[in-house]
Amino acid sequence: MNFFKLSLVRGLIAQFLGTFVGVLLTIIVRVLMGLPAWKSEPVFVGGALVGVVAFMFGTGVLNDWIKWAKGEETPETTLDSGSLKGLAKYLHVSYDHKVIGIQYGITSVMVFLVAGLFALIFRTELAQTGLQFLTEDGFNSMMSLHGIVNIGGILLGVAAMSNYLVPLMIGANDMAFPRLNAFAFWINLPGIVLLISTLLMGGVDAGWTAYPPLSSNLVKVGFAMFFLGVYVIGLSSILGAINVLVTTLRMRAPGMNLFRMPIFVWSAFATAIIALTATQLIGLSFQLVLFQRLFGMDFFNPLEGGNVLLFQHLFWFYSHPAVYVFVLTGLGVISELLPVFARKPLYGYRWVAMSSMAIALVGFFVWAHHMFTSGMASYLRVPFMYSTLLVAVPTGVKFFSWTATIWRGKLTFPTPMLFVLGAISIFLLGGLSGPPNATVATDLHLHDTYFIVGHFHATMFGGYVFPFFAAIYYWFPKMTGRMYNERLGKVHFWFMLLGFYVQSLTQMEVGLLGMRRRIADYDPALGITFQQLLITIAAFVIATGVLVFTVNMIISVRRGAVAVANPWRSRSPEWQIPSPAPAHNYDTPFEVVGEPYDYGLPGSVYTRESSAPAAPVPAPAAAD
Amino acid sequence: MGTRMNGSNQGKPWRILIASSHPLFAKGLRSLLEKRREMDAVVVGLVSSIDEALTALGSLHPDLVIVDYDDERVNRDEFLARFVEGEGRLRVVLLSLKEGGSEAIVYDRRTMAASQIDEWLEMWNENQAPFIPPRVLAGEGTPRIPKPKRRDSMKHFIAAAFVVIVLMAAGLYGYQQINLLPDQASLQAASIDNLFGIHFRAIIVLFALIVGLMVYSVLVFRRKAGDTSDGPHMEGNTKLEVAWTILPLGAVLALAYVGGITLGDTQALPDQKPLQVKVVGSQWSWRFEYPELGIISTELVLPVDEQTLLELSSTDVIHSFWVPEFRVKQDALPGEDFARELRVTPTQIGEFKVRCAELCGRLHHAMESPVKVIAQQDFDAWVKSKTVACTGPVECGNLWYQQFGCQACHSVDGSALVGPSWKGIYGKQESLSDGTSALVDHDYIVESIRNPGAKITAGFQNLMPANIAANMSDDQIEDLIAFIESLK
Repeated sequence: MNFFKLSLVRGLIAQFLGTFVGVLLTIIVRVLMGLPAWKSEPVFVGGALVGVVAFMFGTGVLNDWIKWAKGEETPETTLDSGSLKGLAKYLHVSYDHKVIGIQYGITSVMVFLVAGLFALIFRTELAQTGLQFLTEDGFNSMMSLHGIVNIGGILLGVAAMSNYLVPLMIGANDMAFPRLNAFAFWINLPGIVLLISTLLMGGVDAGWTAYPPLSSNLVKVGFAMFFLGVYVIGLSSILGAINVLVTTLRMRAPGMNLFRMPIFVWSAFATAIIALTATQLIGLSFQLVLFQRLFGMDFFNPLEGGNVLLFQHLFWFYSHPAVYVFVLTGLGVISELLPVFARKPLYGYRWVAMSSMAIALVGFFVWAHHMFTSGMASYLRVPFMYSTLLVAVPTGVKFFSWTATIWRGKLTFPTPMLFVLGAISIFLLGGLSGPPNATVATDLHLHDTYFIVGHFHATMFGGYVFPFFAAIYYWFPKMTGRMYNERLGKVHFWFMLLGFYVQSLTQMEVGLLGMRRRIADYDPALGITFQQLLITIAAFVIATGVLVFTVNMIISVRRGAVAVANPWRSRSPEWQIPSPAPAHNYDTPFEVVGEPYDYGLPGSVYTRESSAPAAPVPAPAAAD
Repeated sequence: MGTRMNGSNQGKPWRILIASSHPLFAKGLRSLLEKRREMDAVVVGLVSSIDEALTALGSLHPDLVIVDYDDERVNRDEFLARFVEGEGRLRVVLLSLKEGGSEAIVYDRRTMAASQIDEWLEMWNENQAPFIPPRVLAGEGTPRIPKPKRRDSMKHFIAAAFVVIVLMAAGLYGYQQINLLPDQASLQAASIDNLFGIHFRAIIVLFALIVGLMVYSVLVFRRKAGDTSDGPHMEGNTKLEVAWTILPLGAVLALAYVGGITLGDTQALPDQKPLQVKVVGSQWSWRFEYPELGIISTELVLPVDEQTLLELSSTDVIHSFWVPEFRVKQDALPGEDFARELRVTPTQIGEFKVRCAELCGRLHHAMESPVKVIAQQDFDAWVKSKTVACTGPVECGNLWYQQFGCQACHSVDGSALVGPSWKGIYGKQESLSDGTSALVDHDYIVESIRNPGAKITAGFQNLMPANIAANMSDDQIEDLIAFIESLK
């Protein structure tokens, strides 16, 4: 296929041209209103909006909807995606949830690499006291972008896993709304372009949280691009969540009641509930700041009757539950993989499933624990302390259940299992370093220090990053039909595990000693210069591990040994069909006749072909 | 294989024949089987070739034949083909010890016809997913994975508990040896540090608990080479789940209660009226006003052992007041109605730093001001020295220069900080960022203080707080101008 017909290429060209047109349109409107023709921020915002819309038209993801509007019929799939081979398949619009899942995954990894690079840049700066090669603004922009780009990357990764896995696991042929699914993926790309473009527009140096009045005062067009980018990516989250919810509720195989779903589906379901109901709030809060900047609507300007705390409430009402969007998916991967590698049932399946729902629910009542020192009404801090500590209960259930799952199992340790075990220990560190931040009095010391930095990196690595890598390795044979390189996988694991422990524990230590967050330079008198160097070295060790991972993926996808049908001897339905899975997943539908994790129970069957009568001649549960 | 077999054998031990030319396989398996007393089985013979095996079938009447799958001398295909013609109820287990050979497979003469053997072996040979005929497995008398014995479980629990306790002890001992927190220099810090102590110990104990159990499992519950069977089928235990829901619930509620008490401690009111200090944050300096004493200062001077009520506000963006040695922290918000309080009772004489903890722009990292905790009589002396009126506009201007925080951005020695240096600036023709130029005279300076954004010197940005002069009198500005004029 012609390079210039690929959706990605067309979309980017359209975004470029659309931005240009948008800039011109805004200038014309300004002139007609009698304003000076050029003012960079409104003009670029106009350009960016038209650019995003143009991108979507350019990719062709809207074509079917346009045809429907005209009353025309459309085929089930995109006409031209079937003929594509190799990488090109993933650069073009497809309605196949597996292609979309992998598109999300590749984008996510690339976005992570960018965000990681930002981290290495500012970590290098912090290796010594004094400013060596970054300006303060440069540092602040790198640090802010590291945060927001990683969050974008995580959301993409969450969508990658739920898109690829949920339909396969529940026996659906695709997501409920395939076109909406494709739309939700493609809308991310112009959003990412906007986020990265901030680098060329003065940067964003107010942290990823972008608290006004700092973020509304700074005269940098980068901020407008930042707010728009997050807004657009948030839209993707909401649309993706609708799809996961409807698919899970309506498209399960016969016999698969909710408590017979693979446990990952529970996580994806709980995650989608949060994403659907909370994401609007971050969109709204950033939109209000943008309007303050563009139109002088002083929502958060205290000099004009605005309230800076209002922003923080709106912002955290999403951004705390968002944490559970990230980790619930990761914890789902842990619960999904442990039984396979322990050859035992998931201990207390229902409790683990319900703990996800409990975390999702309680997660909505804890947002103000980010604001214990913010100056909100003092008494409010106590109920939020209680609600925050309550999160420990369902999280504890997960830990105990995981421990009981591996107890007396028959453990094997291929790379995905290593990442799962590493994830549990790191998430444990992240979880246990949570309560000191939750009890208000201790948080008065810890808030906005490196202790928090260490804490949330541990929750993100243990709750998301390690499980994400586990998932990639585990389902790599499913996605590609090939095996990854086991030795490189293990090298990757040990680099990340050791690097991470050193980094996170040292961050917590310097935080307790007085190292504040988000500072380009630190006081040598704190006596933490050596620790800072150590953190930087650890960051590079982690980066080396990720590099090994990237090499492993690139090589294995082409040259890896051909994988056997079910390399992990999993009972899950997706492993009972060939790899990579055929276009519509299950040629013959299956029905669920047993429990998903009955390892060790002879004669137990999870799924079997729907139509086939109980054959005296043994046949595998689902046809190969 | 190893539990009750089916009815035909009730009361009688199972007779087992092992076919393998490999002595380790045969003898090892026999000793394994014989150790399992509860199995009620007896190994009636060991054979090493197919002919021996077929002979033994007739003479020994085994109920179960275990065939070494990997042994070429015992040709499994031929053996199966001939054995299947027989009549009696008999099972064959093909057992592979090779890596990747995966599962043991069971063949039951009663449930499978001779013609199905080929198909069956073909799937096995293709190195497909381990294939267990469901009919055979589901049927009675098929192998089961034994539930762990109670005594075995106890042994593992005790050993794991030992690992956990060792880890806990090591962790708690290590915690005693290190100091995780900076100096404790306030009354509030004392209660907060107590709470920290509870947290740190709880973290060590719980981390050791889970990681200890995990490490033990990883070391002990490894799959043996060649073992492809599953672990015991333990689905859960509702009592246990309830217990590990209720116990943590109680623990966190207790922790939250203690946390609430500690928070109350940090806000406790003193016996006598606290010293009042207004703390004003501006990008990127702190200003400390003592309204009762008529002092404005760029360093926070506090008497020891007396509570100070800090009233925090900001002139521009959000800042956060934090002295790590005092532990407590409070954001300083912009806006008239947004002053916030923080109580500190310093308990240790010494010099500390207030460090801005909320990202506030470019020089956030450098927004640090000295904090001096001194004895009461020294404090009285300091108050006296600060309230002595300055003499002459130049000296007063110098004082305002420091007290209003001008020195954070404007040097007097010619070095460029965030703003232009004041040295030699008076009377100079300054080029501006819009390309024009202006003479730095009296009116220019007044405008620059009252309305900082009006004219921006080329090479600098508009960063000066717009309302910096809100608390400055015209006289104070005159003094400042005189001071600037004196800087040749």
